[in-house]
Amino acid sequence: MPKLMNFKLQIETGEPGMAGPVLFTINNHKLPLENIQGTTDPGGVFEGGFDVNSFAHSLTLVGPEKGQWHIRKIKVDYECGDSAPYTVTFGEVTLDETTEVNIWKDPPLPTFDV
Amino acid sequence: MKIRFNLFDEECVLNLIPKVFKKIFPRIREDEGSAETAGKSADPEHSDKKLSPAEISPPAVKEESMPSRDEDENPFSNPPELRRVIQAPVLIENLFPPESTEVLIKAQPSTNHDQCLFRINRPVLPGYSWWFGKFEDAQGSPLAERLFSIDGVEAVLVHEDTVTITRLEKTGLDWKPLAGEVGTAVREVMQQGTPLIAEKIIREMPSEDEIRSGIQRAIDTEVNPGVAGHGGNVTLNSIKGDTITIQMGGGCQGCSAADVTLKQGIHRTFREQVPFVGAIYDETDHAAGLNPYF
Repeated sequence: MPKLMNFKLQIETGEPGMAGPVLFTINNHKLPLENIQGTTDPGGVFEGGFDVNSFAHSLTLVGPEKGQWHIRKIKVDYECGDSAPYTVTFGEVTLDETTEVNIWKDPPLPTFDV
Repeated sequence: MKIRFNLFDEECVLNLIPKVFKKIFPRIREDEGSAETAGKSADPEHSDKKLSPAEISPPAVKEESMPSRDEDENPFSNPPELRRVIQAPVLIENLFPPESTEVLIKAQPSTNHDQCLFRINRPVLPGYSWWFGKFEDAQGSPLAERLFSIDGVEAVLVHEDTVTITRLEKTGLDWKPLAGEVGTAVREVMQQGTPLIAEKIIREMPSEDEIRSGIQRAIDTEVNPGVAGHGGNVTLNSIKGDTITIQMGGGCQGCSAADVTLKQGIHRTFREQVPFVGAIYDETDHAAGLNPYF
């Protein structure tokens, strides 16, 4: 598992949206995102990030405290200590007060054309 | 007053302290809450009534000011909120130029190099997946027959627009020579324009409910009793067509032998008991939770 220097999130919200703050957990520690902009209202785009500078065993986006939050797409830009920056896009998911969604993926495996 | 207590009961001892204190200093008034008031009443010069030395008491301690066990800041009284970690699908975007008329293929060897995933810009088996475990299974499916004609191919899995090859040689690291042959074979068959996979496979495909009940039976009767010895468990997460997604929990989550258990035990059991099952994906996040690598 590489050392995660920082990550940036871009979240496209569907219907319903979420009113509360956007929280994430890293290695089960719940934290708010930094440098946030945008909105998690229906149809809105939210952006935020965090300087981790540590080894991420788990990284999740926490669901709302109340109600549901439908997410159309989550785009995550990772900067790791020992590999080139990479981006992973996650598809649709609905979160609620009992769930959180995994947003950690190891650097992609190398591919080649055949 | 007869006080019965157990010295080994911590709660009992803590509740006993104020009672003993009150017994020793009976003049403590319930309304002497603040230290200022208590100090003034204890000072004979400022008191209207002259107190005997025995009646001069230290600052009053109200019984209710002693925190009870329930009010304590007990770190274990409010355990951290546990949420279920779910997995969102990973989207593969802009892998191929959309206008291309050529058959384009990208190869991606697995981390332990025993398998290689080939993504193709053409559908192979839309909506379904199929596992060809040996050459005889490939009869009537031109793509699988052609792939089994390549030396070193042990098994073929087709799913939507991907082909996954498992090779016989497990120790070799370089996939490029074999991947090149696979790419050539896929192009050849696709350019013939005939169906890639035997149509009877889809025609005879049982319903999702039948596959679901068969897999659940296999989990309940064979898989879970087997992994329970190591504190593990397996659950069926979802089924789409004949493609299933499972999750490993308990002692299986984060276990270094999880991959072997999955491929040598779980896959084999599922395919023996439910021959129509196609791709089997493990959705376990082996590093997540409060107790990984248990």
